Amino acid sequence: MELQLGLALPPPPLIPIETFDLNSYGNYETREALGTNALSWPLLKLGPADNDINNIHHHNSSSSSSSSGGGAGCKKRSFDEAPVFDEKRNVPKTLHLLLWTNQPNDEDDDPSNVLHENSSSAIFKNDGEGLVGWPPVKTWRKKVHHQIPNGGAENNRLPAVENGIGGRASKSTYVKVKMEGVPIARKIDLSVHHSFEGLTNTLMRMFGISDGNRKSFKLTYQDREGDWLLAEDVPWRTFIRSLKCLKLIRSRG
Amino acid sequence: MQKKTAYSFPDEILEHVFSFIQSGKDRNAASVVCKSWYEIERWCRRKIFVGNCYAVSPTMVIRRFPDIRSIELKGKPHFADFNLVPDGWGGYVLPWISEMAGAYPWLEEIRLKRMVVTDESLELVAKSFTNLQVLVLFSCEGFSTDGLAAIAASCKNLRELDLRDSEVDDLSGHWLNHFPDTYTSLVSLNISCLGSDDVSFSALERLVGRCPNLRRLLLNREVPLDKIANLLSRAPQLIEFGTGTYAAELRSDVYSNLAEAFCNCKELKCLSGFWDAVPAYLPVIYSVCSRLTSLNLSYAPIQNPDLTKLVSQCPSLQRMLVLDYIEDSGLEVLASSCKDLQELRVFPSDPFGEEPNVSLTEKGLVAVSSGCPKLQSVLYFCRQMSNAALVTIAQNCPNFTRFRLCLLDPKIADYRTLQPLDVGFGAIVEHCKDLRRLSLSGLLTDRVFEYIGMHAKKLEMLSVAFAGESDLALHHVLSGCESLRKLEIMNCPFGDKALLANAAKLETMRSLWMSSCSVSLGACKMLGQKMPRLNIEVMDEKGPPDSRAESDPVDKLYIYRSVAGPRFDMPPFVWTMDEDFASELS
Repeated sequence: MELQLGLALPPPPLIPIETFDLNSYGNYETREALGTNALSWPLLKLGPADNDINNIHHHNSSSSSSSSGGGAGCKKRSFDEAPVFDEKRNVPKTLHLLLWTNQPNDEDDDPSNVLHENSSSAIFKNDGEGLVGWPPVKTWRKKVHHQIPNGGAENNRLPAVENGIGGRASKSTYVKVKMEGVPIARKIDLSVHHSFEGLTNTLMRMFGISDGNRKSFKLTYQDREGDWLLAEDVPWRTFIRSLKCLKLIRSRG
Repeated sequence: MQKKTAYSFPDEILEHVFSFIQSGKDRNAASVVCKSWYEIERWCRRKIFVGNCYAVSPTMVIRRFPDIRSIELKGKPHFADFNLVPDGWGGYVLPWISEMAGAYPWLEEIRLKRMVVTDESLELVAKSFTNLQVLVLFSCEGFSTDGLAAIAASCKNLRELDLRDSEVDDLSGHWLNHFPDTYTSLVSLNISCLGSDDVSFSALERLVGRCPNLRRLLLNREVPLDKIANLLSRAPQLIEFGTGTYAAELRSDVYSNLAEAFCNCKELKCLSGFWDAVPAYLPVIYSVCSRLTSLNLSYAPIQNPDLTKLVSQCPSLQRMLVLDYIEDSGLEVLASSCKDLQELRVFPSDPFGEEPNVSLTEKGLVAVSSGCPKLQSVLYFCRQMSNAALVTIAQNCPNFTRFRLCLLDPKIADYRTLQPLDVGFGAIVEHCKDLRRLSLSGLLTDRVFEYIGMHAKKLEMLSVAFAGESDLALHHVLSGCESLRKLEIMNCPFGDKALLANAAKLETMRSLWMSSCSVSLGACKMLGQKMPRLNIEVMDEKGPPDSRAESDPVDKLYIYRSVAGPRFDMPPFVWTMDEDFASELS
């Protein structure tokens, strides 16, 4: 899992920049296994770290990766030289709750496993569209793109509101979903779902309900008049048009 | 009678002098000169900006400034725009409205950003502030058209109602009808975020017709194309106009009416809307194009050559928002036609697609940087970048104040050399000495942060994602960026060291957001104990943090300075690391 995410915490900074091999930063694999429209991070073959900024002016377009990259002529500062509390610099005096020493924290266990456990769930906790928060496009902008025909070929068609979301009064395709007994509401993007089956699958995954427990939950929704109805009682299009928010309740009996 | 010394002015004169000082920063500076200046200044301050609604309490504001007429409040952190802040986090405006209702009956302007506004709050606003002239709800949520109806009915002096990007619950009800027939003072109306049932078109027409000072009108998507001509003919004095859906079957009568209506708007300078735009109706605005200073086509799926042709007719453009359908070729035309361009935003038409669907690369941005000498502000989404291009851009545009580059693949390297993009972004911060806002993306090591700490002395806001290798990176930023106010970080391997070593820096900033990083619970608790003027909020939807070990990383961390102490309206998934938290667990 940690390799898939490419978030392996690098070793503590003992190594000067010149020899830091970015190849060990992480292997990137596609995340098709998750069935999401995930970004695939190609396996990168990287050379030594790039030159320091003082050399920019001497470069033309292709920055050389070899000669001035490593070695003694480089003006880069290694970690040991980095002047951290340099009185000449006009920075606010730092209150050290921890003295910056450039030494690795001996007491840290390798937190990489823990990190990935948490961050994997953080990253994949999403509304069906890959990384949460990435790319940084506002929600209502994402909706615009769903409705643009592929390649924009049919520009003289009437607006493409017939994607199953047409008629929904609110601009956003996200609706709130609550589960009985869970205080935190979630949001789900309706425009990526086209059937009760798909919607239910996503909800089960979102709330961590296993297949075995599916039967004990029922999907209800609140319509525009404020009434609570059973989702499966109405056709999909009616459901989409009139729903305001969703709630998963435990079925009794 | 006590003689005044030669060094003191009568209060009235000082107050008169202060009335010329509008900027909050300058007023703050004046207020700390001496006690009497503090007193005089606080009585005559009329306008206040609160960048974080939890940094101070309404009671404190009211106690210090007894006669405020204009208030601006911001709530949720910026990353809430990208779904990183769960529902229910906070940012409620009601406590502010409740207290101001009694204290500021003469309040004229309320501007809110990323706050939760309920109908109850709006009703209270309508009831309490009879002199309200400006209501701006920017990216707010939690209210419905019922709340808007209350505002419409009661606020007789309302000049500006702007709901930009807000989420409004539609309830059936024609809230526009609640503006009384006698109401004629509307100057600016932005309802572009509203859904279909929310706007009664005939009420809108009547409203527009009876407000002769209307200068800015941004319609919502559901207003059909064939209704626009009618509206425009009632408001030829408009300076800024946003269409609704800009698509319909081509009909010559609709076309000519529309062309004539646009032609008659002699002062029109800003256009937006254009949802689902079709090329057939674009020429209708050609008569306006030469005057346009601002054009927002970021909802228009128009492609080249129609898009480029349109752009080439707008030589006065200062601000351009567009989708990446413009491609490199269109940006080259923009660069050669629009020499006054100051701001460019290029949005992705297919942000989640794995393959590029358009030919938009770094070349487009290089072209604009080269051709538009006044370019100051850039937001650019694309799929490839090189250090060389960034260096060129930096050299072309040393006047950048805002530079936000988003490479859709979060850790993509320089496509030509396969190096990290450290050098490129380093050039940006080195050359652009006035840079106030920077967003990074692509493959980035600790080095870029060293450059930022070294050069970005005026940087106020920095957004970082999937970058850096170690705490040294964060340390460079916190120790080097003297003007830093807001720092937001997602998915970076930054842990405790830099944070703890720079704890005092956090008090000089408005806020720090870190999500999916490696800051441990223990570090958060330590910060909470040692830094009483910071609120350390840990967010975790999986359960209380005390169920895990101290060394476990927290999911989301939001740190902000505050003189109001920890807040009390936190949802169950937010914990504040104050002294009590630490002690009750040990």
